[in-house]
Amino acid sequence: MSDRIIFEDVSKFYGEILGVNRVNLSIPPGITSLVGPNGSGKTTLMNLMTGLVKPSRGRIEVLGHPTNDPENLFKFVGYSTQFDAFPKGLTGFQFIYAYLCLSGMPLQDAERTAWQAIERVNMVDAASRKVAAYSKGMRQRIRLAQALAHNPKVLVLDEPLNGLDPLARSEMIALFRASAAEGCYVIISSHILHEVDVISDQVILLSNGYVVAEGQIQSVRSEIQEHPTQILIRCDRPRELAAKLFESEYTIEASIHNDGRGLLLKTRDADRFYLAMNQLALNGVQIESIAPADDDVLSVYEYLIGNEEVVR
Amino acid sequence: MAVYRRNYRPYSGTQTPEWSRFLVLFRYSRRNLFQSKVQTGFFVLCFLWPIVCLVMIYLAHRASFLAKLGVPSELISIDNMFFFRFMSVQGVLAFLMTAFAGPGLISPDLANGALPLYFCRPLSRAEYVLGKSSVLGILLSQITWIPGVILFAIQVSFAGPKWAWNNLWIAGSLVVASLIWIAILSLLAMALSAWVKWRIVAGALLLAVMFFGAGFAQAIDAVMRTDSGHFLDLGYLMWAVWIGLFKVDAENSISAFPASIALLVYCSICLLLLMRKVRAYEVVR
Repeated sequence: MSDRIIFEDVSKFYGEILGVNRVNLSIPPGITSLVGPNGSGKTTLMNLMTGLVKPSRGRIEVLGHPTNDPENLFKFVGYSTQFDAFPKGLTGFQFIYAYLCLSGMPLQDAERTAWQAIERVNMVDAASRKVAAYSKGMRQRIRLAQALAHNPKVLVLDEPLNGLDPLARSEMIALFRASAAEGCYVIISSHILHEVDVISDQVILLSNGYVVAEGQIQSVRSEIQEHPTQILIRCDRPRELAAKLFESEYTIEASIHNDGRGLLLKTRDADRFYLAMNQLALNGVQIESIAPADDDVLSVYEYLIGNEEVVR
Repeated sequence: MAVYRRNYRPYSGTQTPEWSRFLVLFRYSRRNLFQSKVQTGFFVLCFLWPIVCLVMIYLAHRASFLAKLGVPSELISIDNMFFFRFMSVQGVLAFLMTAFAGPGLISPDLANGALPLYFCRPLSRAEYVLGKSSVLGILLSQITWIPGVILFAIQVSFAGPKWAWNNLWIAGSLVVASLIWIAILSLLAMALSAWVKWRIVAGALLLAVMFFGAGFAQAIDAVMRTDSGHFLDLGYLMWAVWIGLFKVDAENSISAFPASIALLVYCSICLLLLMRKVRAYEVVR
């Protein structure tokens, strides 16, 4: 049995509207982030993964199980939708409890498990209040609790960090990391790129229904040839260093940092540049640090998709 | 927050049988229904006519008591017509009950966008519809065929086995007539509830389908000088089927068989409408 979430040439059309097109993915355990502007196909991809919509073409397998078999699939898949979706009139506890019963848990197990999930998202005090009276952040957390209550191996979370305050965000991120560390598959969609950058083991970049990049962010960045790599160098004599670097053919732009103790450099060939830096360092320039300045999700997103709807 | 440091362990306990999952929906929907005092009051009121019928059955077997009151014993006759009248009154009450309870079954889930939550569980669309319709099914059964069969049993206890044997078909008619009416009302109420997100509008639409349907049917009949307009009148169609089932002598322009077929077509349309709307996500076209 496969230990991955596999998309094979998957397309989904809503009538004439494109959801996603020709998607091929193999998602390993860990935290995987889906990144892309509104309408890029993130939610469609999640709905396909959870069997809520059927692909127009192609094949999807979640850990070896087809997505058209909900009885087996939802034993190990938990899904939290991005919309504020709740049946009317339920308290936080009833909300979790009712869905555990629907999952097939006997009443006693469901009650115990519901309280465990509520405890995990730190909602014990508010569990007996109606969901309708919750704040946005509390609704987000209780929705997350229902997704992870039955202890799924695959956790699919659509915009799980929206509406959370910084403390709750860090708690949720800790929860995702703990799940990933246990060997679970945490699939997250988000617009908050700096958080995606921090928490993701791999990213999938989507635009207009197409997967434009996937994998670890550094390796994705290294494959983008048309944008020169930006490198930030902290050193004692940036002007002298810039002059020396311009002697090489692969340095195309350099600017002195505002504080006069650094240099932002653009190069076409990062590998050769790093080799040259070794040589310069040996020749007496005091270099404090060298760090890539654009191998984060934000830069890759801007290069591949554009800077619309980016939340920094 | 308490983050449990442990290795992944899936739930390994027992599972409830797959067929019983829809009962979770039934339980919650029924509880919501009876949170309304008006609903509960109306439900109690629905047992008034069965109690009157019970008294009539009792009196029909107490000729001496009737004589004392000066009422001729032939006035109360417990036969197919008696049960047809019982069914007609309870049928109207069942319709009113559906207008109260039906629209609130699916429309709140749609309005609150809760359908994806149901369907990311091991629950199919058919089971969702079954769970929701079972609320109406059981509720309407409690005010139609169940009291009807109880009244029949009480009549049997008074009249003896010979009467029971000769009139057993009436009990069957009670059950079949009720079940057809329940199926029609449940499917219609749920289809309207699924297509109209506002509960009150869905309720009004259910009343409109019945009353405007009847008016429209009569208008067609009058203008086009035909009887075919009655096929648009659900109440008339049901009445035609009941007349056939209870073997009542009454004039009707449509016989039981074509009326049954028409009702079946209406049920199929309602099911199609339901299945088109009850989806995890709306299909954008």
